[in-house]
Amino acid sequence: MPRVYQIVFTGCFLTLIFAVPLTQVGIEIYEGQRPQVSELFLHLPTEANLRGFESEVEDSSWFAQFLRLWMQYLRFELLWDLGEKVLLGRDGWLFYRPDVQYLVEPYRLSETHHAAGDDPFSAITTFRDQLSRRGIRLMIVPIPGKASIYPDKLTRRAAAPDRSISSHTLELISRLKKAGVEVIDLFEPFRRLREKQPMPSGQAYYLRQDTHWSGMTVSIAAGVVAQRIHNLGWVDRGSTQYDLKLVSVRRRSDIIRMVTVPGIERHFPAEEVRCYQVVHRASGKLYKDDPRSPVLVLGDSFLRIYQTDEPGSAGFIAHLARMLKHPLASIVNDGGASTLVRQELSRKVDVLRGKKLVIWEFVERDIRFGVQGWKYVPVFAD
Amino acid sequence: MVFTSHIFIFYFLPFVLLAYYLLPRGWRNLFLTLVSYIFYGWWKPWFVFLMMLSTVVDYACGRTISARGASRNRRLGALLTSILANLGLLAFFKYYMFTVDNLNRLLLLFGSDALPILQTTLPIGISFYTFQSMSYTIDLYRGEALPVRSFSDLSCFVALFPQLIAGPIIRYNTIADQLDVRDHTWEKFSSGVGIFILGFTKKIMLANPMGHVADAVFAAESPPVLDAWFGVIAYAFQIYFDFSGYSDMAIGLGRLLGFRFPKNFASPYRAESITDFWRRWHISLSSFLRDYLYIPLGGNKVGTSRTYMNLMIVMLLGGLWHGANWVFVTWGAYHGVLLSFERWRGKKTVYSWLPRWGRVGITFVLVLFSWVLFRSPTFTHAYHYLGAMLGATPVEKASFLLAAQIYTPANLTLMALCAFFAFHPAEADDWVSSLSLARAITLVVVFVLAIMQMFTQAFNPFLYFQF
Repeated sequence: MPRVYQIVFTGCFLTLIFAVPLTQVGIEIYEGQRPQVSELFLHLPTEANLRGFESEVEDSSWFAQFLRLWMQYLRFELLWDLGEKVLLGRDGWLFYRPDVQYLVEPYRLSETHHAAGDDPFSAITTFRDQLSRRGIRLMIVPIPGKASIYPDKLTRRAAAPDRSISSHTLELISRLKKAGVEVIDLFEPFRRLREKQPMPSGQAYYLRQDTHWSGMTVSIAAGVVAQRIHNLGWVDRGSTQYDLKLVSVRRRSDIIRMVTVPGIERHFPAEEVRCYQVVHRASGKLYKDDPRSPVLVLGDSFLRIYQTDEPGSAGFIAHLARMLKHPLASIVNDGGASTLVRQELSRKVDVLRGKKLVIWEFVERDIRFGVQGWKYVPVFAD
Repeated sequence: MVFTSHIFIFYFLPFVLLAYYLLPRGWRNLFLTLVSYIFYGWWKPWFVFLMMLSTVVDYACGRTISARGASRNRRLGALLTSILANLGLLAFFKYYMFTVDNLNRLLLLFGSDALPILQTTLPIGISFYTFQSMSYTIDLYRGEALPVRSFSDLSCFVALFPQLIAGPIIRYNTIADQLDVRDHTWEKFSSGVGIFILGFTKKIMLANPMGHVADAVFAAESPPVLDAWFGVIAYAFQIYFDFSGYSDMAIGLGRLLGFRFPKNFASPYRAESITDFWRRWHISLSSFLRDYLYIPLGGNKVGTSRTYMNLMIVMLLGGLWHGANWVFVTWGAYHGVLLSFERWRGKKTVYSWLPRWGRVGITFVLVLFSWVLFRSPTFTHAYHYLGAMLGATPVEKASFLLAAQIYTPANLTLMALCAFFAFHPAEADDWVSSLSLARAITLVVVFVLAIMQMFTQAFNPFLYFQF
């Protein structure tokens, strides 16, 4: 290569590597900030300070923020790649990768019970014992992940009739039942429904582009739970009458929102979801929780969807309340059903006063990936 | 510090290049030593002192070895001190926990109490810099190199940041002259830029995405046959583009600073036998082990059975060098057995009669089996994985959902690109050696894309950092 080209080539390289820091410093000075890079000299060069400085420099980089979006968009347009958290299924279905990882990767449940153990079996049985000492019963409701119910929408391989998913959750359910814990198995009813009662065209039991269940499915799940409560006779049926009101909402996919690229979001318009709002018959007002209820429901975003999200009062809690004929109390922590929701309960333990039953819902992937694991939580001070 | 990080590309490298070329020549080695210590200490500052200690010991031993009138015993003593100090450091930080753990298993077997284990952290790159540092005293002892002019020259050699953490392993006698005098030309600088860009691109655009595929498959409970093969091929590409990418970046950075490092890879997946593979894979380690271990053991000059034994010793220790774990030792033994078998057949394989593509294909498959051992954390895992590759493990639970994770348009496209480049005869050095205008423009575009891609990736260190 002639020397002049060598110089131009080298110049391009040097321009690229010098332009980024110089532009960054220029922008920071223009915005009246102290240049981020000066932070390096203001603290001792300890391991923690250096790590902190490095991530600060990366996070605040104007170039990184700008180009990251473009690269993700380019990868989507060229290769249909939606990033590390999202899996593109068939017929436009989207899946959350940890949901699939939970099913595919090995997971060994702890063989023994430890009162302070960091595993779902110990956490649930310990919580059951804590409540039992106060005369409160516990019911567990693990929610099947979308990939467990719609594996054929993830890959053509799962379309064969003998390819039903054997989730680790079923093992946990079986062990909990053996330990005397009341667990609702929604896998079987959901699969049976899918096989025998296909939803009307364009509708499904789970949302196509979201991690959650559909507006109709919450009512089905609430029905299964309510039926079990009646059979066990744990809570008396109330007398409050509720009516149903069919509404449609447009829901933006939580999976696509994780990608955080506006250009990609535009490719996935909001899904139309039909659901039933629960309305208090006497007042005509939408369902509202009652903290004095004998039933407390704990859980994650599967409880929040349609309930406090749009359209409101159409989620699992409202439907369960309608079937039990009395309002319920609830504590919902997005993504935190494994430990955070119990910690929240321990901070407002008065909520448990007068309770007969606690229903604890969590999505199955939390068995392995629950935020903060399955820590022991001393719900009661004593 | 990682080459493929924001801090390195946009802060450390521009600063080093600017300051290096502004400084008078006499100051440059000292400057490189200081910035190399910063580069190394960025991870854990205290470990810089460990490297300094190794350098001080080797400098002192080197002075003794090269002192006029030093007796043979004195010189030998100094050499042994250097070797023991370096291997001692390596043994303590890399093999101490492994040894005590194995000892405890034996003790428990005989009903004795287990020994307490002191938890140690493996200093990054220790396997590389101790070997390099040791090569100085060995070369001096053998009379294959002259002593350094100053302590800062030896410090510069040991700490030189481009190849400090993951090689290539540079022997002292390879760059002794360059530490003294090295030229800086546009040709050398621009070719360094080209090699660096290619290495950077290999790591960001090929190795990291292949790593995600391999991770998904190796983490699966019991992958179906096709997926297991896809996974191990992805790992083969990951480790090759990761490690050769690092080596290319090291060689490229070396040229930016006036050094010429030997190449570390020569299209290894085009090898026609395992013997050929080891001539092409991690060349600097293979030649180091050959010159400093195999030949001193007698090499192939001490009879047939000793030759096989020497080969096995070298490969077992080569495996152990990669990590304190029996799976690495077994990986080394597997290659040792194959090398011995080929030597027994007069350096020919049983499939040497096949056409070239057949020989390359079978060698690649043999290497794939070894990568299963290399990638698996335990023997049990390796056993199950090999079973899955051979269709002997039943597909359980939801493993067939793996297809959705790995056979994506992006992964299939990148896999095809990896296959093309891995089986292409040209390495980065060859490609850059005849740099045309079109290639230069391609490199700039590819560099911009790779930087954009780097911004979308989470922290992803090089595989060989763990060794």
